[in-house]
Amino acid sequence: MSTLSLALSDSATMVRRQVKHMRRYPSLTLQLIGVPVLFLLLFVYVFGGTLGDGLGPGSGGRGAYVDYVTPGILMMAVAAVAQGTAISVAMDMTEGIVARFKSMAIARVSVLTGHVLGAVLQTFVAVGAVVAVALAIGFRPNANVVEWLAAAGVVAMVTFALTWMSVAMGLVAKTVESASNLPMPLVFLPFLGSGFVPTDSMPAGLRWFAEYQPFTPIIETIRGLLLGTAIGTSGIAATAWCAGIALAGYLWAKRLYNRQS
Amino acid sequence: MTTLALAVRDSGTMLRRNLLRMRRYPSLTFMLIGMPVIFLLLFVYVFGGTLGNGLGGPSGGRAAYANYVVPGILLMAIAGTAQGTALSVAMDMSEGIVARFRTMAIFRPSVLTGHVLGAVVQTMLGLAVVVGVALLVGFRPDAGAVEWAAAAGVLAMTAFALTWLSVALGLVADSPETASNLPMPLVLLPFLGSGFVPTESMPTAVRWFAEYQPFTPIMETLRGLLLGTGVGHHAIAAVAWCAAITAVCFWWAKALYNRDTTS
Repeated sequence: MSTLSLALSDSATMVRRQVKHMRRYPSLTLQLIGVPVLFLLLFVYVFGGTLGDGLGPGSGGRGAYVDYVTPGILMMAVAAVAQGTAISVAMDMTEGIVARFKSMAIARVSVLTGHVLGAVLQTFVAVGAVVAVALAIGFRPNANVVEWLAAAGVVAMVTFALTWMSVAMGLVAKTVESASNLPMPLVFLPFLGSGFVPTDSMPAGLRWFAEYQPFTPIIETIRGLLLGTAIGTSGIAATAWCAGIALAGYLWAKRLYNRQS
Repeated sequence: MTTLALAVRDSGTMLRRNLLRMRRYPSLTFMLIGMPVIFLLLFVYVFGGTLGNGLGGPSGGRAAYANYVVPGILLMAIAGTAQGTALSVAMDMSEGIVARFRTMAIFRPSVLTGHVLGAVVQTMLGLAVVVGVALLVGFRPDAGAVEWAAAAGVLAMTAFALTWLSVALGLVADSPETASNLPMPLVLLPFLGSGFVPTESMPTAVRWFAEYQPFTPIMETLRGLLLGTGVGHHAIAAVAWCAAITAVCFWWAKALYNRDTTS
């Protein structure tokens, strides 16, 4: 068996382990779905009327706002799963199971890969639930099959990038508690971008940050694909950010994992 | 010494204990102030432009929204402190200090009264900071000295009511962790009222809840006093809610404290 096929088979075993974790402890998955759904309901039903009216001329109140906010909520769901991954990795590192894995004849990186691929699956469950709730409360995308697939691809790409970053955060954290706090800024970034309100409604300094942070081009790309708004350069920027974050997160995580004996 | 004089003296001692704790562990106070300030900055600078435009009428975007949102943030600050009080009471109950107090010749409810008065002092300090930040970010009230005093009275009355509720929640909780979660709905109530957006912009069921929950008349009273919008019947409703919450929760807390068998 070649090194690559061994790595693939070991990674698949670790993914299976993560999926079993998810099935045996569904409370974390439910919580990861629950928070974005609560924010979706809060922003649509409580703030949606006023925010929808404030989006500018021709906007249609709550109906327009549910369309506007859903991509931001999807990013929030992705960030929440990343937070869960950091906790999961930190628990593995502190409970001694990783020391056991290191003594076995398995591809070293497969433990991390298992976490990442498991998180991608968990994210798609969460994102699927959020989209279903959004559709139930009035989200009306006008995307065709190709655009839906492209949007799913963007979500997968973002998840992959943020998960590698959160795996590294889980490895760098001294305790499970600090691992749950380190990825917290990721959950806030959609607020400080175009997730909930247009960036041009923000004051100058904040607008500059909102326009150049990674989540804004990602949100604008998803919005463009699902709702037909202009994507412009956002697609390229989103891909570049995801590639950069994934690479940095992967290298950082691999180094930390190899250093911890 | 009369019973009343003893009660006042012992409550004063317990208040001093709580104030000393505040000075020695300022991190909790900073956290309780920090959360409403972060929400204020988020809602004014991030959402304020859009929400201000959505308020309708001759509203002036972010500036108009800064005025609109401050009463909601003030109530959020009170609810945050109430959460801290529940935690503090639960810690006292679980750490055995209350059992020690019970063996001493002190007025029994003074332990609870100390927590309540300490929390009210902490709340008023927190509110002063929040108002200070609000003024910096564009809050422009047109209230005179009398209206400011009345608004401070409404805030103190609300803090007093919610603190008795949180004392009861701290006593009913079986651990400090539970105690920190039980008052969580209080922090969410300003969102589900007129704190951040007018209730008429909400769908029917949510609007009905928002209009009849206790925080809405309190926020509308504050808005009326500080910004000159009509107070109407809101002031009476606010006083009634606060009086009812205080009375019910005082008796509930007293019953729980007397029934507790940790001594």
